Parts: sequence; C-alpha cells; structure tokens
Amino acid sequence: MDPELVQPNAYIALRLPSDSTMIVQVLPNTTISIGKYGAFQANNVLGRPYHLTFEIRDTVTHDGKAQSGLRVVPAAELYADIKDETPETPPEVEGENSSASGDGVEYEVVGQNGEVVVRTNRQIIDDPNSQIMTMDEIEALKAQSTGSGKELIAKILESHSALDQKTAFALAKYTLRKTKKYLRRFTVLPLDVPTLARWILTDKEPMKIMELRGEILSLIGSWSNVHCTPSISTPSLDGDGMQMKGGRWLVIDETAGLLVAYMAEKMAILHPPGHDEQEAGSNIPSKQKADAVNGDNANGEPTTKDVIAPPLYHPRPRKTSGPATTNTITLIHANAQPNLSLLKYFHFDAFNPSTSHPLESHLKTLSWLQLLSPEDDIGYVEPATASEEVIQSWKSGKRSNHFRKRRRWERIKFIADETRAGKFDGLIVASIMSPVSILQHTVPLLRGAAQVVVYSPTIEPLVELSDCYSTARRTAFVTNPPDPDMMPTEDFPLNPTLLLAPTIQTARSRSWQVLPGRTHPLMTGRGGSEGYVFTATRVLPAKGKVEARGKFKRRKVDGVMTRVSSVQGTPASGDSGTVEMDAS
Amino acid sequence: MAIASTPQHSSFLHCGPIAEADSFAVLHLKRDLLIPTVLRAHDELDEGYSEGKVSNTRFGSFPHSTLIGVPWGSQVRASTVDTGSRGRKGWEGKGKKRKRNEESQGQGDTAGVEKKQNAEIENKTAIEATTGFVHLLPPTPEIWTASLPHRTQVVYTPDYSYILHRLRARPGTVLIEAGAGSGSFTHAAARAVYNGFPESGTEVSSTQEPAEKRRGKIWSFEFHEQRAQKLQQEIKEHGLDGVVKLTYRDVCQDGFTPDDTPTSEVKANAIFLDLPAPWLGLKHLNRTNPSSPLSPTTTIHLCTFSPCIEQVQRTINTLRSLGWTEIEMVEIASKRIEVRRERVGLAEEGLRGVNDSPASVDEAVGRLREVEGRSRLFHNEEEEPGGAQVSKQQRLENIRSALEGRKLYKEGRLIHKAEPELKTHTSYLVFAVLPREWSEEDEKLAQGKWPAKVEVKEEKDGPVSKRQRKKDAKAKAGGNKEFEVQESIVH
Repeated sequence: MDPELVQPNAYIALRLPSDSTMIVQVLPNTTISIGKYGAFQANNVLGRPYHLTFEIRDTVTHDGKAQSGLRVVPAAELYADIKDETPETPPEVEGENSSASGDGVEYEVVGQNGEVVVRTNRQIIDDPNSQIMTMDEIEALKAQSTGSGKELIAKILESHSALDQKTAFALAKYTLRKTKKYLRRFTVLPLDVPTLARWILTDKEPMKIMELRGEILSLIGSWSNVHCTPSISTPSLDGDGMQMKGGRWLVIDETAGLLVAYMAEKMAILHPPGHDEQEAGSNIPSKQKADAVNGDNANGEPTTKDVIAPPLYHPRPRKTSGPATTNTITLIHANAQPNLSLLKYFHFDAFNPSTSHPLESHLKTLSWLQLLSPEDDIGYVEPATASEEVIQSWKSGKRSNHFRKRRRWERIKFIADETRAGKFDGLIVASIMSPVSILQHTVPLLRGAAQVVVYSPTIEPLVELSDCYSTARRTAFVTNPPDPDMMPTEDFPLNPTLLLAPTIQTARSRSWQVLPGRTHPLMTGRGGSEGYVFTATRVLPAKGKVEARGKFKRRKVDGVMTRVSSVQGTPASGDSGTVEMDAS
Repeated sequence: MAIASTPQHSSFLHCGPIAEADSFAVLHLKRDLLIPTVLRAHDELDEGYSEGKVSNTRFGSFPHSTLIGVPWGSQVRASTVDTGSRGRKGWEGKGKKRKRNEESQGQGDTAGVEKKQNAEIENKTAIEATTGFVHLLPPTPEIWTASLPHRTQVVYTPDYSYILHRLRARPGTVLIEAGAGSGSFTHAAARAVYNGFPESGTEVSSTQEPAEKRRGKIWSFEFHEQRAQKLQQEIKEHGLDGVVKLTYRDVCQDGFTPDDTPTSEVKANAIFLDLPAPWLGLKHLNRTNPSSPLSPTTTIHLCTFSPCIEQVQRTINTLRSLGWTEIEMVEIASKRIEVRRERVGLAEEGLRGVNDSPASVDEAVGRLREVEGRSRLFHNEEEEPGGAQVSKQQRLENIRSALEGRKLYKEGRLIHKAEPELKTHTSYLVFAVLPREWSEEDEKLAQGKWPAKVEVKEEKDGPVSKRQRKKDAKAKAGGNKEFEVQESIVH
C-alpha cells in the first residue's frame, strides 16, 4: 500500500487542469515546474496527503520578496461552478421516488436559468472576434496576476462580447475551456500502477506498454488469479507439516516492466516493507538528509546540486539469503537483459537491486536461452573453484571478483533449474513474439489448474493461438495422437489437450460527463489498439483414450434416452448415444 | 463440518498440489457449465450411494473417492454408479421404491447408525465408465462467478476487475461492500485484499495487531436476511471467513458498523456500494460522524454500482455535497470472441456447418458452364464432349467419402466474431475519492517539518550562477554596443 503522505524522493503524479498528468520526483528543497501553470516548491507538498488539490499563488513576504506558495483548495470550492446550478438534493427521499425527482432535476435546472427556459443557439453567429481581448493582452494580464488565475478567467469571460447570447451549456463549456487553460491548480496523486499505466497510455508512449489499457490490465489480473501468498506457513489440512508452496507466477513481459509492477502490486511485493507506516525518509541515510537540510539553511544557496536523485536505496553487500520460493515472479526475457525500466518509479533498479526491496528476492529473471538451453549460456557454466588457501593468497580485488562470479552463477543456476522444474501457478504473456512459440515452451512448465493469460494489442495473434486449441483440432489429436517425441508437428504446433476452455475477450470503459442536466458519454476517446486477452486453464489430460459423452445433435432419440438415463438411473455406462464429441 | 475446524484454509487462496478431502472444488464440464462441490470422503447428506458422495452430471457420475487425492486440473473419467437402486434417506413420496430396497438389502434402515457409518467408511471402489469425463479445478472468483447460484444481479468479471483496479484494492486494503448480493464481488475482493489470515481465530482485532501488518479485510453487508444467510454459509464453506465479515444489516438505515464491533475497528479505505439508493448510504460515510467507519489517515476510494442513470445523478450530487473529489462515471462493455474456421465452396456441398455456395467467381462460372451444358444436353440431345456427367448423388457421395481424409481443423478461413450473446449494459460505475482530512494544525506541522525556502526572485548579493554571469556579460556587451552606436550618432 502506498504511504498516505508524500514522502521525500517519491515519484508523484500531478493532475493538471488540462487533465493531463505529469510525473515528478519530489526532491526536498527543489522547485517543481509544471509548465505554463507555474512552479512551486517541493517542500510545499512534502508531508502532505495525496489527492489534495493545490492552487499556486504568488505571495509577497514581509521583506518585500515575491514567493510562490500553495493553498489547499477545499472540495466545496472545486464544485463552486457546478453547484451554482445544482438543485439541492433532497437529503431523505425514498428510492422509489427516484424517477419522479429525476424529472425534477432537469426541470429545475432549466428553470434556474431564469426566464430563458428555451434559449437556443439559433441566434448565434460564429464570429472569431467575439473575444475582444487579444492574445497579447491576456499574456500581459497573466504576467501581472498573482492569484490562482480565477480573476484572469473572469476577465476573459467578461470581455467576450457575445457571452449573453450563449446558452447555459455553451457558457459552461466556454468557462470550462478557459479554466483548463488558465487555472493554476494541480492535484497530487500517488504514483501507483494504475496511475502509471494511465499516464504512459495517454501522455507518454502508449507503444512502450503495448497500449495496455487499465480495463485490460485488470482483466489480466483477475483471470491470471494473481494474488498474494503470504510467507507465513499455513497449516496444511493433513497436519503433515507440508510446506505451503505456490504463489509462483511465470511472466513474459515486454511492456517495460508494467506488467511485472502490476503483478508485484497484487502480490504485495512492489513497495518496500514498512513503506506505508514509517516514513520512507528513514530509508535514506539520515546523515545525508541532515546535510541536505542543514546545508540549505546554512548558506541559502540552491541545493539542487546536492540533492539530485540521491539513490533511495543504497547498494549494500548482498545478503546470501537467496531468492524466495513462494510469492514470486519469474520473468523470461528475449534479450540478454530484461527491460524493466518502469520499475524505477517504484525505486527498483533491475541491474543494481537493493536488498531492502522485496522484488530483489521475489523477482527472478532469466533469458530464453537460459531456460531452453542453459548449457549454452555462459552464466550457467560453473566458474572455476579454488581452494581456501589459494583464495586467501589472492589480492582483495581478485578475491571479491571470484566471489561475485560464484554468487552470480549460483543465482543463475538456481533460477534456471527452478524454472525448468516448472509447477508454476500461472502464466501471463504480453509479448510481441508469436504466442504459439511462447506457449510451446511455457505451458509444460505449469502445474495443473494454472491459469494462462495472453495479452495482445491486436486480435490476430490470439486468433491463431486459439485455433491451435480448437475443438476440432483437439478431437483430431485425441483420436490419432502423434508421437510425443515428434511434437510440435505441423498439424499440432501445440498440444491441444493441455489447455481447457480457451477464450478470447476484451473490455472497454466508456467515460461519461455527469454534470447536472448535462449527462452524456464523453465525445472523444482514445483510439488505437483495442487489446485482447486470451485465457485458459492448464489441465492434466488423463492417460489413455478418453471418450466424451453428451451432445447428440444427429440422433435425437439417443439424446432423449441419455437424458432419461441420467435422471432415472440406468447404469451410467450406457454407451447408447455416445458420440465422439468433446465435453468442453 | 470439517471446514469449520480449519478456518485458516481456503482453496480459493491456496490450493495444494492435489485435491484434498473437504476442500471446495469445481467440476468443469463446459466453459459455462461448472458444478461447485465440496469434496467429501463420506457422504454427509447420506444419499445412499455405495461409493460414498457422488456428483452426478450430464457427462456421467463422479464419486468423490475418484476426485480426492488427484492433482488439481486433472481430467477425471466418469464412473459406473448405480444411481437407481440406492435407498435414499428421507426420500418422501417414494415409499414403494424404498420398501423394495429394504427387502432386497435385508438390513436397510433397521440397521443401527453405527453400522451404517461402518458401511460408509468402506466405500465401494468406483468402477471406471467407458465414456464421460470432467476436469477437476480449484475454485477461483472467476469460476465462482460463472457458476454461482443467482440470487441478485451478478457483478461480472470485467466489472469487478475494473472496480477493484480503480478502488486500489490490494493486499492489506480494508474494503466495505454493501449489497453483497450473490457474492461474486465478495470473492474477488477477498482475493485482492488478502495478505494472510488473522492469527487468532476468525475474529480480527486490528487494534491489537502490529500496525505495520494490517490484514486485508472485507466488511460485507447484505440487507436481505435469506441471502445473507446463504452467503454466510458459502463464505464459511469456501474458507474465506477469516477475510470476509458478513453482516445482515440495512446500511442505509443503520450505518456500516456491525453491532458486535467497536466503531474504531472498521477503518476502511475502500468502499463498494451495490445498493438501490447509494446516496442514502453515503451519509454514514462521513468523517465528521464520530462513529465513522472510515480510516482517518488514508484516502478513501469509493465505487457505486447502479444500473440507472437517475441513480447515478443523485449519487453524484450527494457525493459533491459531501466533499468527495475526482468523481467520475464509466461503464464497462466487454465481449467474448469466438474463433472458428469458415469453409466456403462448392467442394463442401452437402456437408454440415459450411457454406456450399461458390467460393470465387471462377467457381461460379464453372458451375454455370456445367449447368448450361447440362441444359443444352437436355434440350438438344447434343453429344456431350466431356463424357459422362456425374450425378448429384454421386457427387455428394464423393464429397462425403473424401471427408475422411481431410484435416478440417486446418481448412477454411480463420475468422473471429463476438459471441452471440452480448452484455450491452451492466451498470454505471461511479468512482470518487475522499482525501484524508487536513487541518490547519496538520499543515503547520508539515510546514515545520518541510520549511519552504523563501524563494528570492531577484537577488543581487547572493552567489551568482555561471549562467547568470554569462547573461550579465551579454547584457553588458549589448549595452556597450548601444553606447557605441549612440556615440557614433553624436559624432
């Protein structure tokens, strides 16, 4: 869970009046600029709660110097414009009356706009000159104004010559547009995975995360059954002291780590422990923190230089606790190194992980080469050992190099062997590689009943994948099974009996504007890839030939007979009406 | 019940490698035909099968003795079960049948209870049937949602996934759910917030637990007594009663704190309202209220789920007046997509599930020529140059016999389309956020901790940056130039 107050060095998201989002790191004693809306001091938001809306205003201190400060905007003020037109909701009305009073709302809104109940836009002539103020004038006004921008907006509205002709709706729209442009407000949001995903999708590079929308991300989360498996041992039912295994997910993530971050959040391993209750600040060596503050107070010089990105977690000598065995994510990557660049927003550096971060032991990465042919990978080959005396005789540099190599090899070997042993609880794929080729190598690594989820921004790869598991193909496979050593064959690129109930689905959210009397879906939305999810369950087919029962399309009489049999109880062995069909 | 004695285990959250007795399992028949059941070594309902407890399905009978102990996800064959001649306990109205059983078995109901149990313990070994199978799966919220007994409108997977995503429901979240209904959201939410069962039995006392290890919990409410009872039973059966606390209560009237719980204990930071009139419940979700169930130190995320737009409008008006921010309304449209192969062409004539019209212009022309030739033959009795015409019957016979060798799963065009039944509207989702209270004193404290530096806009005597020096130099140079120009004019 995210800490509830803004912590030093944390990444935060700022929602601007234009509805765009900005991600900034809050370094103490620095100034944060939010473009045309102005700038503010990081210390003014540090230690404050999230989800507050601030207003930038320039104040003048007692010694006559200009200073930009922040003011928390109360919720009532946020809705000031809306509330003017809103009829008071009757506080206690029974639910049954809702339709009647729904009419009342509409009526009152129109009525409140005074005598002109049916003002329309038929009188309005489009005239680009109806705004009398010029751009320069507005800019000049902006430069001298010190407030939140409200007066500026009021002035702009005032100087619109045709304002009185506007309908209430048009006026509201115009005001809103100007507000978005000139109001100097921003809302501080915690940077969690949903916010990060939204930001990359709408404001940054959607291709980087394969255009993974929030709706689809949440579908992946549900169908993959990813959840937290606490490390506390749960007593097994037989009381045999059986160790609670499980909670191991296999992932192929080419969304720069977004998927890994999302899974980690659901598994409670994204944020360092204690991050929520105690201050994150205590993770920084206190001396440095003190230095930053003192240095600032002492000579008053800009301390930006001193505090530029102090690494939140210092690399410490690696503990030899080794990778975790439950509640883990195993990532298979196509390049020599995994691309997990988005994890930096959660203070995790894949190349130099700090031991205090839970992902260090719970995230395991290996390449396809290490998985499929580990002997060919140089990291898997055991480095030469040396006797204790020889090691002692080495110089310290050589010695530490030796141990570093050994540790690296141990880790790679452990991860590769463990992954190859399989028994994963689920598989999530978001890759531009062919899903058929991925599932060929990963489905056998799953335990029975493991969930498989494959994401693709376009449907075609999933259609192709789904076809490999089609009922017709599976029936052909079962009736005439090919030699297992020859798999994959041209006809059966994947073993169709290993996955149950393959399904392709998609979801899309549609946002609405809900203002009193002006409720409708938003007029524009994001295009691009739709995004699809393939889901299935790994199953363990029974040994030998299995014949299905059911579905009697051709011989109706048999169908009736079987139905009778299941109700009245002639022995179920009755093979009357058994057709070579599949039960799923 | 055996489940009750081990409340700290749920096959929803951990399933071991194999299906153990007394765990909750699902028999997968088809994608939309799932039978939930509790695996029992012995028949608790005493239905009189000689194999012990048996699940009867369309695809055969499955004695639980054939399911217990197999790995999860296994395909299990049906067994030959004598479903007819058993003497059902409490089978009223079928006295004749029962009597016959008594006679034939010789002991029947007259035998002592003890003897009966003995007989049950030595269950008959199930005999494999030649056809029929199921897949044995551990339950997930998705499977449960697809199989659950409908009592109210169900919150389906695409909706609850997105809601939990937006509510920031994560391990450790404390979530209030009002209007538990059929319980699909309850199960999904329990999985999302779960980060361990409370150590001491089923009762949680968050005040006694170490603060940094807050357990995720669902405070669930249902105002329909029967539904509440049924759901309570299910939650217990599913082993989730350590995570979900269900209360029979009308939250709009009585608020969100169960009677047996001190108000300080709930401390929720996420709320899901699936109520007919959510705005009536909102007044209890207010921080000014001394018995507020909200966490005082966290942001509260809220979602309401209402099918009608009028409900949404009233909810949002109330939310605005109560100081909720970031109010947003969305609806989720989801669809499942069907993939199949479509075979078109004259070569498919007479087969099932195909379109046997011409696949191309060439095929159409070929067919027309043939028809033309035949009619000419018929009218003019002209000699056919191509030799013997194949009769239609013969042609169809040929196509059918060729079917044997064809790999139909590879033929035709691969297509996809939405499945026939679409859910075009489920409900409107309203999201809102209530930030933590932030008083003047809090602000003062924060200011003391993080003193904002007095930013000096134009300072003369401070240290000058390199850039500033350059700028100054440039200005100086420019000034000199100007000076020179002036001078030249003077000259």
